[in-house]
Amino acid sequence: MKGASRRSYLISLFLSILLALVVGGVLMALTGHDPINGYQQLISGTLGLFDENGFNICVWNDRGIGNTLYKAAQLCITGLATAVAAQAGIFNVGGEGQMYLGALGSAWLGAQLSGVSPWITIPLCLLFAAVCGALYAWVPAVMKVKMGINEVITTILLNTVAIKFCTYMATGPLKTAERGINQGTDAVDKAFLFDKLIPGSSLTESIFYIAVISLIVWYLMSRTTAGYQMKLIGQNERFARFAGIPADRLAIIAMLISGAMCGLLGMFESFGLWKRFRPDFSNEFYFDGMLVAMIMRYQPLGIVLMSLFFGVLKMGGAAMQSQAGISSVLIQIIQSIIIFFMAAEEGILQNLRARRAVSAAKRQTVKEG
Amino acid sequence: MDFASIFNVSTLLNTFNTATIVILAGLGCLMTDQAGMMNIGIDGMMTAGAFAAVMGSWLCGSWVMGLVFALAVGLLFGLFYGVFVIRFKSDEFIIGVALNIFAVAITTFILRSIPGQTGSFHPATGAVVKMPSIDLGFIAGTRVNLSVMVPLSWLLVLLCWVMLYRTPLGFWLHASGEHPESLRSVGRSPERMKFLGATLCGLFCGLSGAYLSISYLSTFTENMSASRGYVAVACVIFGRSNPPLVFLAALLFSLIDAVGQRLQGVVDPTLTSTFPYLGTILMMVLLALRNQAKKKRAA
Repeated sequence: MKGASRRSYLISLFLSILLALVVGGVLMALTGHDPINGYQQLISGTLGLFDENGFNICVWNDRGIGNTLYKAAQLCITGLATAVAAQAGIFNVGGEGQMYLGALGSAWLGAQLSGVSPWITIPLCLLFAAVCGALYAWVPAVMKVKMGINEVITTILLNTVAIKFCTYMATGPLKTAERGINQGTDAVDKAFLFDKLIPGSSLTESIFYIAVISLIVWYLMSRTTAGYQMKLIGQNERFARFAGIPADRLAIIAMLISGAMCGLLGMFESFGLWKRFRPDFSNEFYFDGMLVAMIMRYQPLGIVLMSLFFGVLKMGGAAMQSQAGISSVLIQIIQSIIIFFMAAEEGILQNLRARRAVSAAKRQTVKEG
Repeated sequence: MDFASIFNVSTLLNTFNTATIVILAGLGCLMTDQAGMMNIGIDGMMTAGAFAAVMGSWLCGSWVMGLVFALAVGLLFGLFYGVFVIRFKSDEFIIGVALNIFAVAITTFILRSIPGQTGSFHPATGAVVKMPSIDLGFIAGTRVNLSVMVPLSWLLVLLCWVMLYRTPLGFWLHASGEHPESLRSVGRSPERMKFLGATLCGLFCGLSGAYLSISYLSTFTENMSASRGYVAVACVIFGRSNPPLVFLAALLFSLIDAVGQRLQGVVDPTLTSTFPYLGTILMMVLLALRNQAKKKRAA
């Protein structure tokens, strides 16, 4: 995207967000809540408190900022995971399942290796989480490339299978003997866990890992030949094949990377927050990141920036629910409305342009007549 | 555990009951598929229909109004999908996914804004009136009660087949996806036909949702479609958009589901509940392998 088209895209994005927030406000008002108070709670729960005028933030909310950064990092890695695959022309809707397997696999290994040096265990767990996620992404990728089976449907169905399978493992064969825990695997040794960066928040050291992974993926996507070839496949697969690009192999590789990233996120959640695998650790995290990636049209830098914004929205949604009694699913409504607008952006602009051209032509004929 | 305890009348009854959800959604999905649009959003349309049906049935105290509400909401979602995909030429995959998330979010939001309701709908006053069912008496020792929607869905499969393959309307609908320019050259608007496909899809998904919430069950739970919409899409691919074949695929899926439920005494219920999803994927793989073999033989 260059120059004028980028500017028009940014204007559309800004207007879409504004309109979606207005719709959210209307929904709050319709259900008997004060929209201004709702959005203020959203900000004070994530960034800080407002002064008396209600415009400037005077007290910064450390815990809120920590939680927001945690959420933003999560959105960033899942968004980039979507983007890597989508740019190569293959949609990974199965990140949720890949994340579950990565979380279960790494937590199981972490519990098995209790007492071993963290310098050995943590790399092993990282590797195992990535392999679990990648393998689970490899299955639908091969089915798509070799047999032409729609990957959107297989990945969605595999999500349900993975979640149920992991739930079974955590309540059955791998259930911990610890008292008071009715679903979850054995606890991971304390020495392996990620430390909290801001006390009381969910922000852990895992954000550094996510930053490194994001940098690697950004480099791969925008600075290497393979990344450029993947982009060509996503834009015009037939052309790419004519140019001799191994589209099938690259699609599978992109899917493996995407799955590995999701698997790693599963480990970060288990090792950072829960000390073990819990089947209820995720609340459709992957889909939130996927929406961010779609809004930003799979551009890596845009995804990173938009993750911060949606991190505020998502975490603020929780504050809105507890402080103002407005259900946090409102944020999902706002998100999907932004996507509707952004997906239709070009079509709406074209329609407007066509209408303007028609009315201009009419005026012309009236003048001449 | 012997053969008779797995395959008996009640397994069969279960199969027909769950199949109806997928059959109705599948009919909707194949209407858009025939018009050349891949609709991933039917899962969301079903959720919205299910919610509307419960609301209509509870507010007006009659299942007919539940049905009317569900059809109206289905129609609205179908038109919405049509406006974005046909008029604004948006990516159908993105719109479909966003529609699913939107439908779950908006129904959950409205449900939670009714005082005292979270998770599922349990009204303090009034009740959700269910659709009538036909009592067929005892068959082999099992009381058989079939919802009116079950035979109705079979009738609809037949009607859709006649419409698609024996009337000009079906021909035009198919042409709007396959050869829009030839359709235009005979003076028909492909856009209008595509809109018809999207609208019919919405109506069928609304019907499927209504069956799910006021016949199969009698309540609405958050995210109640449980990915059955995606199973329906898989059945449409499996049945190549031909109503009777989609019907058979849906029956096969539901049979796996019902047998899985029967096996719960032997295998963990959480594991058996993955069977229908794995079965659907397996069905798609087998179909793809068969097609590949066919192509090889032809070449």
